[in-house]
Amino acid sequence: MEYVYALIMLMALYVILATSFDFVIGYGGLISIAHPVFYAIGAYTSALLALDFGLPIPLAIPAGAVVALLASVAVALPSLRISGDYLLIASIGFQLGLLEAIKNMAWTGGSGGLTNIPGVSAQSGGHGPYVVVTVLLAIGTVLLLRWITGSSYGRAISALRDDDMAFSALGRNGMMMKVGIFALGSGLAGLAGGLYAHYFRFLAPGQFGIMQSAALLTMVVVGGMRSIWGPVLGAVVLEALPQAITFLNLPPSLLGPLQGILFTGLVLVFMFARPQGLIGGGDVWRGRAVREVRDVARP
Amino acid sequence: MDGDDRMNDPTRRRVLAGVGAAGAASLVRPAFAQAPHALQFGLAMPLTGGQATYGQDQVRAAKWGIDSINQAGGVAGRKLEAIVLDTQADPQVGIQDVNRLVSVNKVPVFVTAWSEVVKAVAPIANDSKTVELSVGANAPGIAKLGEYVYTTYPLADVDVTAIARYSATKLGKKRAAVLYINNETGIGGANVYRRAFTRAGGKVVAFQAYDPHATDWTGQILKVRLASPDIIYIEGLVADTPQLIAQLRQLGLTQTVSSYSAIYNPNLIKQLGPAAEGVIATSLAPGPSDNPAVKAYLERWMKEVGRAPNGLPYTQYLHDAPYLIAAVFKEMLAKKMPLTGEGFRTEMLAIGTFHLPLTGKLVISPDHTVQKPVYLMQVQNGTWKQIAVVS
Repeated sequence: MEYVYALIMLMALYVILATSFDFVIGYGGLISIAHPVFYAIGAYTSALLALDFGLPIPLAIPAGAVVALLASVAVALPSLRISGDYLLIASIGFQLGLLEAIKNMAWTGGSGGLTNIPGVSAQSGGHGPYVVVTVLLAIGTVLLLRWITGSSYGRAISALRDDDMAFSALGRNGMMMKVGIFALGSGLAGLAGGLYAHYFRFLAPGQFGIMQSAALLTMVVVGGMRSIWGPVLGAVVLEALPQAITFLNLPPSLLGPLQGILFTGLVLVFMFARPQGLIGGGDVWRGRAVREVRDVARP
Repeated sequence: MDGDDRMNDPTRRRVLAGVGAAGAASLVRPAFAQAPHALQFGLAMPLTGGQATYGQDQVRAAKWGIDSINQAGGVAGRKLEAIVLDTQADPQVGIQDVNRLVSVNKVPVFVTAWSEVVKAVAPIANDSKTVELSVGANAPGIAKLGEYVYTTYPLADVDVTAIARYSATKLGKKRAAVLYINNETGIGGANVYRRAFTRAGGKVVAFQAYDPHATDWTGQILKVRLASPDIIYIEGLVADTPQLIAQLRQLGLTQTVSSYSAIYNPNLIKQLGPAAEGVIATSLAPGPSDNPAVKAYLERWMKEVGRAPNGLPYTQYLHDAPYLIAAVFKEMLAKKMPLTGEGFRTEMLAIGTFHLPLTGKLVISPDHTVQKPVYLMQVQNGTWKQIAVVS
């Protein structure tokens, strides 16, 4: 049962991560791949508050989410003020820099990571309820983002993404909206981090690097960018598939390459054969094409 | 059509149902035939990814150990069986593997390696009261991971301290430079070396970390050259240390290079050629000249695989791990104890001392550390030669 719990737990966490990432990159059009660093901030903050200050887990997890949210605002404010593309550079720099700092500080456990983080133990029967709470939070995240994107505020987000100049010309504060989108997405990633830390009770900086960014991007692309259910499906499928492969008892000579090409192969296949993903908003790339035509038409 | 007719009528649905049932029975039968008899333990090692070269050889060695035990009659007439899972040397994958071993396969004991994986899965071992045997990881912190985490491999305190003292006292080196990989293994080992070398009267004149993904170490090496050490100690991984030594030589550093057991490997000489001359490494397992069983083991590798194993001492420990597990299972069966992790731990500590075919005497102590003789090896004329044994 523990194995199933862990699998459901990871799926629920990736649902939170992938949907919040899609909110930032798909709906908001904010090009950033540093989502895992906010996952890390939430995880480390929550773990250290519980480990070093004895903060109860139900308080430590939201605290991790709040710190991740504040950190994202600190990254977004200066980078979005210059230009949207700078967010990509600033966020990657922030991701790599922060992970490097975590590796080199003793109080974060260094590169070896933190272990025996206070959490629910399987023996006390706490894993079941914890998984249920995480699944409920994942459902809550999906419903929250569905509500936002379907509301008038969501239409404003779409307008901002499609033409920020026209949006600003209508008297709306586009930059604050971008900061808000980035902060909400990152705060949700921080929440997932806190939930992860107290279940698996081990954190290492290597878990939050560029490979994690690639995995999240794959979930969003395969599931369907700019759709609510696409990233959910992407997260579930891409978390279950590698586990299913291990049950085939394939020889390592076959298993290694299979696992290696699974993520990259899926991205390539979907980019060419079904760019909108399994459940994609049909205008994902069309919107880009329209924008490009418009940019070319500009004097 | 009455009931009897229906029983005798081979309709397509009934045939398909019969075929399905037969297929299901054929799938299920082996599991029912083996499960009550075979004594299972987990073996979570990297079979794919960057560390697979070493992980695969270690799993092969463990399987040879299991085969030998089973050919000799098994454990009280029951077969010993390993459930092998691939960790990719990745903590998250390791967590999933161990969750599966503990909750699906319900093994009382599992073997794993690579310090980060050992550390990541420790809470699962402690929570589920399943014994985790770390076989090969050497980060000093492993001794403090919890009451269900034990090592059969000496931690860095043992061999790194030995080589640091030997360098300062027997080789007369007074200025050491330390280059270490910035991960759990590197930081732990480098700190142990610095402490031991300083206590032995030497001085660490350079202490440089490098990134685990680095492929160029020019910056660190130039700083080492500026410090003018008379010995260089490297605490790296099996994959990067040979390249680091090659670059040291290319940049003109001719000082003696020393390291721990990760580089005691025939491949090092193949990779470096003359640049390997004089390199000193530790080995925590007896060599072919110390133990005839090791000689036979190496011959088997040459005969069946056509080469020596990658990381010979590590494979010796993996080969011997099933013998320790078998000995504990045997006692548990003799005492009619339930085959639980709790019982395994109790019995393992009660036995305490194990005599293993390729690594010799092993004492599992309640403080979770292991003491072994340290064999100091040096590359001389293109082969590894034993230069000292430090108790």
